[in-house]
Amino acid sequence: MKLETALRYGAMLAVAVAIGMGAYLTKESKATSYLSSDAKACINCHVMESYYATWEHSSHRERAVCVDCHLPVDNYIDKYASKSLDGWNHSKAFTLNTYGRRMLISDDGARRVQENCIRCHASRSKTLIKNVDRYHAFDSENLGDRKCWECHREVPHGKVRSINGTPNNLGVKWDR
Amino acid sequence: MKKNTLILVIAILGISFMTYMMLSIGERKQEQAILNTAPIIKAEGIETRSDKWADAYPHQYDTWKQTAESNEIEDMVKKYPQLAILWAGYGFSKDYNAPRGHANALISNRSTLRTGAPTGPNDGPMPMACWACKSPDVPRLMQEHGELEYFTGKWARAGDEIVNPIGCGDCHSSQDAQLTITRPYLKRGLDAIGMTEDKITYQDMRSLACAQCHSEYYFKKTPYTDKDGKDQIAAVVTFPWAKGLAAEDMEEYYNEIEFKDWTNKMSKAPMLKAQHPGYEIFTTGVHFKRGLACADCHMPYTQKGAIKFSSHKIQKPLNDIANTCLTCHKQSEKEFKDIVQEKLDRKDQLNVIAMDNLAAAHLTAKKAWEVGATDAEMAPVLATIRSAQWLWDYSIASHGSFFHAPGETLRLLGVAGSKAQEARITLAGILANYGVINYQIPDISTKELAQQVAGVPFEKLVKAKLDFKKGLMQEWITDAKEDGRLTSTFVEDLPVKSAYPQN
Ligand code: HEC
Ligand code: HEC
Ligand code: HEC
Ligand code: HEC
Ligand code: HEC
Ligand code: HEC
Ligand code: HEC
Ligand code: HEC
Repeated sequence: MKLETALRYGAMLAVAVAIGMGAYLTKESKATSYLSSDAKACINCHVMESYYATWEHSSHRERAVCVDCHLPVDNYIDKYASKSLDGWNHSKAFTLNTYGRRMLISDDGARRVQENCIRCHASRSKTLIKNVDRYHAFDSENLGDRKCWECHREVPHGKVRSINGTPNNLGVKWDR
Repeated sequence: MKKNTLILVIAILGISFMTYMMLSIGERKQEQAILNTAPIIKAEGIETRSDKWADAYPHQYDTWKQTAESNEIEDMVKKYPQLAILWAGYGFSKDYNAPRGHANALISNRSTLRTGAPTGPNDGPMPMACWACKSPDVPRLMQEHGELEYFTGKWARAGDEIVNPIGCGDCHSSQDAQLTITRPYLKRGLDAIGMTEDKITYQDMRSLACAQCHSEYYFKKTPYTDKDGKDQIAAVVTFPWAKGLAAEDMEEYYNEIEFKDWTNKMSKAPMLKAQHPGYEIFTTGVHFKRGLACADCHMPYTQKGAIKFSSHKIQKPLNDIANTCLTCHKQSEKEFKDIVQEKLDRKDQLNVIAMDNLAAAHLTAKKAWEVGATDAEMAPVLATIRSAQWLWDYSIASHGSFFHAPGETLRLLGVAGSKAQEARITLAGILANYGVINYQIPDISTKELAQQVAGVPFEKLVKAKLDFKKGLMQEWITDAKEDGRLTSTFVEDLPVKSAYPQN
């Protein structure tokens, strides 16, 4: 009987502690910020800072935030599936410290970005299609499996973007 | 019993996992903090000597030094002799040049005939405010002695204190290198337009760093009692932004407080001088409206080896079209040069028309006074001249406006030219009342002729200036070096150039 009471109170206490810790952890990891599309959410992790810095100095700064390119936008199922997958992969890599100094986009990540380039630019580029149609006939086979950024090398992260490539960047530290 | 045990076990597993996560996050946060910690250049106050920042930020320092390369003098009064008439009775009629690179700012300031030839700390035509946008030593002095104290006294008072040209300490905090506003008057200006500190974004700061100086201001006479209990009057730099940033808003502001910078010596009109409303007019242009900041064009992200950083060679962007315009636009460099040139030509055409009409209006007004026109007759005309010249000055004084805001610039030049012509028509009527018809203004087609008409004793000013440069100015530099305020031979050895011969 005594053991049972102890167990009951013990369990209640443990749950309370767990909930408290969970809330604290949510706050500490800024987990809720991932619900927004703010580019700053990505630099919760410092390994993303170079990508933030290069994007911040690119022409897409005013037009496309990180998730506009890196996540599926039209399809909600795909969007949240990708978000969870990325979230899991990156958090795991970040927590366990298994990532390399030189990051590369994954194949699935590249697919999504490519779809987003087309999403925004297919309709915008009618004249362009006419001028450079060999490269930009977005809905034809001519494009093959070339990615947009095989040619547009600078979009948006520039050629220098390694984790060490943008030291001292002030923008990522700015909070008011 | 079973249920409670299960709950307990799960909770404890959860707690263990979360403890691990918490430790991991703590570790990562520490890493991030270290990564984001900038070297402390100076524990307190402002490090004004840019050379002291060089070790921590070699790339920024190197490119900052290159601003010295832009050091050719473009004598604006020689190019447009009309200016001597427009500014008759005011310093600008003596000497006025196009802007050069930031590193040259103090040399330009000490060399211009406008700052005169003081022989001691309480001598000379200009107040302390004239240093305000030339050096990080200015906010340093404000911090050390107080803003009102800073703005008290003659320009020559602090010649040995203000010795480092525009540098790191003007735009960055010496504690963590973050962009910061070092000039209290910009903060007051921003408050006046409702842009309080909590609303300012990083992108805003990439323009506001420049707006500290590239803005319109006037000297507001402010009485106060100093620490010795003596009554003093400070001439405090103030941004006339309370009614808005547009030319007409500021005009209304100035008219309401019946402010004038000086009285034109020819027409006797109570005049306004626009300083350089570069930030203000930029906000009317398409680039501002599409979210750009000054740094996007004037400080492009560049690369050296494997490092990316902001070029601190602040210059005309056309010297580096590939890294500035072509980040966003994709035409050829030549096409861009041509587009900007075309905008410049359009401005020049209307600019000359406006200046010609303004000069003629001032000189015709002078004639009208000579033949006996009355205050009552002249007052409305002088008000028109004042307004016309203000709009003209606002539109072009910031030098880059023809590109930053081409539409607004041309609109203002159009209105200014038209108002100046209106004044001339009225003046022709007044002259006719006194029997003068077909009055021809004197020949002002060269700088010499125009300055003669405006009563500028050029030779005398130059002689006195050269004495100052050999005398008091050298003492300033020597004192500053002895006391360790100036430690850079780079700054010391910058070549001295001016619109008049150096010997
Ligand atoms: C929890 C820390 C963290 C956050 C937050 C984070 N990342 Fe990452 N990210 C990483 C790490 C670590 C890697 C390297 C993964 C590897 O190499 O295995 C990475 C890799 C990537 C990659 C390349 C690999 C891939 O999956 O294609 C992309 C793209 C990326 N991140 C985008 C983003 C975007 C966009 C955001 C904001 C929505 C973001 N990241 C937020 C830690 C993070
Ligand atoms: C305009 C679309 C676009 C936007 C916006 C964008 N990215 Fe990317 N990102 C790309 C492309 C394209 C690549 C792949 C480049 C390559 O493989 O050369 C990439 C790659 C990456 C990588 C993997 C590293 C690599 O070099 O392959 C990371 C990490 C990343 N982006 C993070 C971000 C973050 C963080 C943001 C927001 C601050 C962001 N991206 C915004 C298009 C974008
Ligand atoms: C959210 C919509 C959006 C997405 C996604 C997007 N773009 Fe853009 N992009 C724009 C807009 C809008 C502009 C025009 C920018 C401007 O003029 O300010 C632009 C400009 C450009 C330009 C010309 C300027 C430059 O930076 O060279 C290129 C090239 C370009 N995009 C390629 C791409 C590629 C490649 C991708 C995929 C990696 C991509 N864009 C993804 C909206 C988008
Ligand atoms: C085989 C190379 C190649 C590929 C692949 C390619 N492009 Fe291009 N793209 C070009 C060239 C060449 C131009 C013309 C560049 C110029 O005029 O400066 C261009 C121009 C553009 C422009 C207009 C840039 C401007 O400033 O007006 C956009 C936007 C653009 N491409 C988007 C895309 C997108 C989105 C994709 C992927 C679906 C893509 N491109 C794939 C070569 C390519
Ligand atoms: C006229 C104002 C101004 C002066 C003077 C100035 N900076 Fe900057 N600096 C800026 C601005 C604006 C940025 C932000 C650029 C961006 O984010 O694109 C910047 C960015 C930086 C950065 C961040 C990394 C980078 O390159 O983007 C460092 C570090 C820096 N400056 C150091 C210095 C040093 C050292 C000096 C003196 C030698 C100096 N600055 C002088 C305005 C200035
Ligand atoms: C502390 C005051 C101050 C600040 C801050 C400042 N400037 Fe200046 N700027 C000046 C002065 C004064 C000159 C003229 C110097 C001369 O002629 O000797 C000047 C000249 C210039 C020139 C002409 C250079 C040339 O070679 O023709 C440009 C362009 C310029 N500034 C842009 C900027 C930009 C962009 C910023 C913000 C990143 C900025 N300035 C911040 C005071 C300042
Ligand atoms: C879209 C690009 C762009 C932006 C943004 C921009 N400028 Fe400019 N700026 C130019 C160009 C182009 C010129 C003309 C250069 C020439 O005459 O060759 C210029 C000229 C100038 C000049 C005159 C230089 C001289 O020597 O005649 C100054 C000063 C200046 N800009 C300051 C600023 C300030 C301050 C801001 C922000 C409020 C700003 N600029 C924003 C492109 C830009
Ligand atoms: C960060 C991106 C960016 C940079 C850098 C930039 N521009 Fe632009 N520019 C724009 C945008 C956005 C527009 C507006 C287009 C629209 O809304 O249709 C524009 C419009 C223009 C226009 C047409 C409007 C006008 O004022 O006549 C000209 C010309 C122009 N830019 C020239 C330049 C030049 C020259 C430079 C380099 C000194 C430059 N731009 C740098 C983004 C940029």
